[in-house]
Amino acid sequence: MGNEYTQTALQIIRSYDGPPVRIMEVCGTHTHEIFRLGIRQILPEAVEVISGPGCPVCVTPVRYIDEAIWLALERKVTICTFGDLVRVPGSTQSLAGARSMGAHVEIVYSPLDAYDYARQHRDEEVVFLSVGFETTTPPSCLAVRTARAEGVMNFSLLTANKTMPRAYEAMKDSADAFLYPGHVCAVMGTGDCEAMVQQGVSGVVAGFTAKELMTAFAVILKKIRQGRPFFKNCYPRVVTREGSRTAKELMADVMVPCDDEWRGLGCISQSGLRLRSDYAAWDARRKYSVPPMKGKANPACRCGDILQGKCTPPQCPLFGTVCTPEQPVGACMVSHEGACSAYYTYGGKIR
Amino acid sequence: MCVGLPARVVKVHQGMALVDASGARREVSAALLDELDPGDYVMVHAGMAIARITGDDEEEMDDILEDLD
Amino acid sequence: MNDVITLAHGAGGRQTAELIDRVFKAHFSNPQFTGDDAAVLSIGGADLAFTTDGFIVSPPDFPGGNIGKLSICGTVNDLSCMGARPLYLSCAFVIEEGFPLAKVEEYAASMARTAAEAGVRIVAGDTKVAGKGQVDHLFITTTGIGQRLTGVHTSGTLARPGDVVIVSGDVGRHGCTILLARNQFGIDADVTSDCAPLWGTVEAMLGQTKDIHVIRDATRGGVGTVLYEIASQSHVGIHLDSQSVPVHPSVRGVCGMLGLEPLYLACEGCLVIVAPECEAPAILDVLHRQPYSQDAAIIGQVTAEQPGRVILRTEIGAETMLPPPGGELLPRIC
Repeated sequence: MGNEYTQTALQIIRSYDGPPVRIMEVCGTHTHEIFRLGIRQILPEAVEVISGPGCPVCVTPVRYIDEAIWLALERKVTICTFGDLVRVPGSTQSLAGARSMGAHVEIVYSPLDAYDYARQHRDEEVVFLSVGFETTTPPSCLAVRTARAEGVMNFSLLTANKTMPRAYEAMKDSADAFLYPGHVCAVMGTGDCEAMVQQGVSGVVAGFTAKELMTAFAVILKKIRQGRPFFKNCYPRVVTREGSRTAKELMADVMVPCDDEWRGLGCISQSGLRLRSDYAAWDARRKYSVPPMKGKANPACRCGDILQGKCTPPQCPLFGTVCTPEQPVGACMVSHEGACSAYYTYGGKIR
Repeated sequence: MCVGLPARVVKVHQGMALVDASGARREVSAALLDELDPGDYVMVHAGMAIARITGDDEEEMDDILEDLD
Repeated sequence: MNDVITLAHGAGGRQTAELIDRVFKAHFSNPQFTGDDAAVLSIGGADLAFTTDGFIVSPPDFPGGNIGKLSICGTVNDLSCMGARPLYLSCAFVIEEGFPLAKVEEYAASMARTAAEAGVRIVAGDTKVAGKGQVDHLFITTTGIGQRLTGVHTSGTLARPGDVVIVSGDVGRHGCTILLARNQFGIDADVTSDCAPLWGTVEAMLGQTKDIHVIRDATRGGVGTVLYEIASQSHVGIHLDSQSVPVHPSVRGVCGMLGLEPLYLACEGCLVIVAPECEAPAILDVLHRQPYSQDAAIIGQVTAEQPGRVILRTEIGAETMLPPPGGELLPRIC
């Protein structure tokens, strides 16, 4: 069955003897699967994989965690969140830390579950931590639109939703080819990725199974030798050119683009989404008058450079001393798959 | 980003779909997909069916590689 | 270490180990203080295994068992892992004011049934009632002693390069059951806890061969945590074949939905066994004939290379490291 084929992809990958290639993936689940499958081990020396800014955990700024903790401890709201955010460090602590000080933190699977929680607990003020890219934003939009339609007033969103295209542009000099995030493309279609070809940037849309990932790498390594920028949808069973019109309409109906901060990268113009003013009553920042927060990131942290492949983790002065998986300082140490966490855990043995 | 799970649609009712992923079942929103029917396969993320799955990864990847040459 | 106790300190991973090392071991240290499931004490010429365990499962009733059954299985299995026939248990209840008496009786009946199956007697106990809200329903602590069979010597420190690693059943089923029973994530699946008393299984195995180096009961923290503990205690590497790890399809489905690793979900009726390769076929044969270990499988080997690490051979034939236990198990979307 499939093994035969993976061999072929494997052969293409193994036999690559062209110039050095930097492949950047911009998807936390790609990072995870590439690690889980051990794909880095089978790549030739000349092929470097950079984990770019594609994981909402890694790019969520310090300030955002501070806002959530302020809401939980000062305004005593119930925070509903994806499990991913619980360990992300803020200026002084994470949500896990705030929870041991009495913050009420509910972990949910879906923004729609957070809405249901609010509906069933009318005596609590419920704030959903709305992070994520175009894949995760539609259910958040649906939740808040339903709350408005049903007049559920104890539910709101603390938004940090982000969009990928500006990130591709911001990162384009750091990579020779992108592994585009399959599920973002499922929603948005492939137009943004195809447009990158005009700017000379290559890439393929990749799925998530072993076979899909191996194929995506094989296609990149084969096409890159032809010397022309290229684009290929290597996940056509899920990704269409148009994407989901309904999802795009839903997002446009509820949210508008805004400038947004990415942990490690700084502010990227028009790379975020915030709620439209019709949704002010469901916008946690406005509803609870969240004070502006500075969010002190450690100035010595070099996550931004690491995300762009400009330096390796041990070149950061905090790495392994101040910043460890247990007490992460920067984005790249936060999740298991972050470049620094992986480097720390695997002792640099696993590229 | 985005953990996605392929799942089979078991039942569709009022904009919600009951999906089954190797025995794990959950109601998810079907608001993004028109004309979803039991037996269809969908990609599920954070409680929402985000896309219809139209093929099999094994065959599809074989085709992509063949096209390369 | 953080200044306060967080849930991660109770998750059985690195933070738990740190708490034990830096606080409990520092204060309690003595020659018998153990890193294994039970201490083995020589008293009057007999080798007695001695252990204790607290149970705070929420919800207290779940498919495949309840907190009463669990409280017996946990302690019986800890003793069994030392090759000790469980003999006597004590139990201490902390019950929340207002908790239904009928429920207490139901759990007591479960405890009695499970104890009978395991061949142990519950000979002493204690009851405390805490004010409403001070505990969640009820907590049970059981303590047990057992007598080690002669010629048996198992310990987490005894894994040797060349040994094979066996699990007695599919992994992560209890953790998955509890996750579903809490109904926090709206997921439904036909999964029942593997909660079972395993003395019969261990006794049958030791009847076949006493040449078994490690028997560990993979509870909180799952098989992955146990493997890391063995790798560290024995200063060996453990190489797993990821395709050989038995996982119930529904458990795999739930894990797929929530982005969890089955090797880190709790078990309550699954043993990790490390034994010389030549003994493996006979051990598997015995396990397959016992009621709670019909899915037993060899999942990997012990190596001299990469001591302290658990390496996975993946479906594409590459090797990667199993991420070390990371504390509280959190579902993820990315």
